[in-house]
Amino acid sequence: MKKYRIVFKKSLKSEMTYRSAALAGVVSAALRFFIQVFLWKALLGTGAGQDIGFSDMLLYVVISGFMLELTRTNVAESIENAMIDGTISMELLRPISYKGYMLSQTLGKNIYGTLISTLPILLLSLFFISGAGIPTLCYGLLFVPSALLGILLMFETTYLAGLLAFWLQRCWFIRFYLNGLRSIFGGTTVPIWFYPGFLKALSYLLPFRYMTFEPINLFLMKVPLDQALVSILAAFLWLAGLSLLDRLVWRAAIRKLTVNGG
Amino acid sequence: MSFIEVKNLCKEYRIVRSEKGIGGAVKSLFHREYIVKEAVKNVSFSLDKGEVVGYIGPNGAGKSTTIKILSGVLLPTKGEVKIGNIIPYENRKENAKRIGVVFGQRSQLYWDLPISDTFELYESLYGIPRERFRQNCDFFTELLGMKDFLNQPVRQLSLGQKMKANIAIALLHDPEVLYLDEPTIGLDVTSKKVLRDALKSINHERKTTIVLTTHDMDDIEAVCQRLIMIDQGQKLFDGSLEDFRLKYNDGFMLKLEFDGCFPVWQEEGDYELLEKTEHHWILKPKKDITSKEAMIELIGKYDPINLYVQEERIEDIVRRAYMLQNLPV
Repeated sequence: MKKYRIVFKKSLKSEMTYRSAALAGVVSAALRFFIQVFLWKALLGTGAGQDIGFSDMLLYVVISGFMLELTRTNVAESIENAMIDGTISMELLRPISYKGYMLSQTLGKNIYGTLISTLPILLLSLFFISGAGIPTLCYGLLFVPSALLGILLMFETTYLAGLLAFWLQRCWFIRFYLNGLRSIFGGTTVPIWFYPGFLKALSYLLPFRYMTFEPINLFLMKVPLDQALVSILAAFLWLAGLSLLDRLVWRAAIRKLTVNGG
Repeated sequence: MSFIEVKNLCKEYRIVRSEKGIGGAVKSLFHREYIVKEAVKNVSFSLDKGEVVGYIGPNGAGKSTTIKILSGVLLPTKGEVKIGNIIPYENRKENAKRIGVVFGQRSQLYWDLPISDTFELYESLYGIPRERFRQNCDFFTELLGMKDFLNQPVRQLSLGQKMKANIAIALLHDPEVLYLDEPTIGLDVTSKKVLRDALKSINHERKTTIVLTTHDMDDIEAVCQRLIMIDQGQKLFDGSLEDFRLKYNDGFMLKLEFDGCFPVWQEEGDYELLEKTEHHWILKPKKDITSKEAMIELIGKYDPINLYVQEERIEDIVRRAYMLQNLPV
């Protein structure tokens, strides 16, 4: 565990050396936030909303933004780059599991930006969010594991996509597809609440809805408690299944590995 | 049994054959032809603990591939590798704890942080005991002269400084084997000397086994007792440095510099003209002759303003060795 903590710490520290980049991140996050705020204000104003209030929507935007930020610099991109320039060979020299290394590194890289760019937004949104949106202790406690599983699921799927770079060398298009799927079936752009029936049904068959949508659903207390446990269990099963799959893929990938250059 | 055993090692790569022009590129989208390239062909050797071995060969000979298999990064297509009873590519993590690797063209350092941060990373990654870590840090900082730049961000360091740091990092956990892949590439003379001396004393004091690939014969002469030469993936020579010289290095070259007035080259002489420019010639004696005799003869004959005796470069020796083996191209 100590190994992974230090990878996390050092990549966080690395990230902190660039102040202007962090500052730029704050500004762009704030802009994105305002776009969302005005968009939802307008949409909900037309009466399209079911029983979703503006305050709920705002919370949705803030939380999903926070969770997406945490996996922003994504593993697939790191793996692809390491394949392209051959640094993969350096990473494999270390006595540490590659997946664990990548996870610690991704979180370390992103947490600084996440905190820096989400904190101001959180403060801003406090003005708009009504006290009614705050979950009870029970839901709050359920939100934590659900959100953690969501973040891990996001990592897991991207990691799997990244491993394809061992075969394809370039896998950016896979990342694009993945983002698209996450957007549609995970409700990261438009919450699944607003979806037509068949899309909603489809989303249950895929892991994407457990990434941000279900945790936020819990936070906003929109699910009965018994269903909440089912969604957490489903997320866990997806994570376990995909972890097994990535082991198999890794085993094949390492056989396939060629190191570029020198 | 030897410490490192490599038996009939083969590694094949599949390469896409690319065709010329846009047409070829479009065609390759639909149909691809692959060529199998054998980077390492049936290489076997064994090393004992504490040996320092130079692993040489021209560019693309298969040196780095071998090192990558030995360090557990790549899997061999065929053959067997054992390092102290561990198969590196099957127990990558276990193997990693016992080896240190430096690739001259790559860096293990955090680009934005000082070297000391990467040191701490390695302390935790390898679970080095505190006390030992302190000792090693001090030892290598001193040995490689790194005190002055230990706390500067790596992006502001020179190539030589980074290389020293990479070597220190590879050694922090007291590895039993150290693989160095062109560690002196691009370094100046002073840094090269510091590195060579450091390697010698590391081998001497810690009995670390060292496998070194390089294109610089001076590296080999300074630190290696034994030499393994490969080309086109095949082993051509394995033995002591002395034997290698006896077998392949047939002599020396002479560089004659002239000041404006060029003498006439006498074709029928005992020397072969390898290179001719406006200022100098490079000659090679055809017969067995000492450098003293050659110098006296050439000064008498051509009256150069400067005359240098040059040892053959490793690339030339390897080339000739390759031709002597008469391998098919």
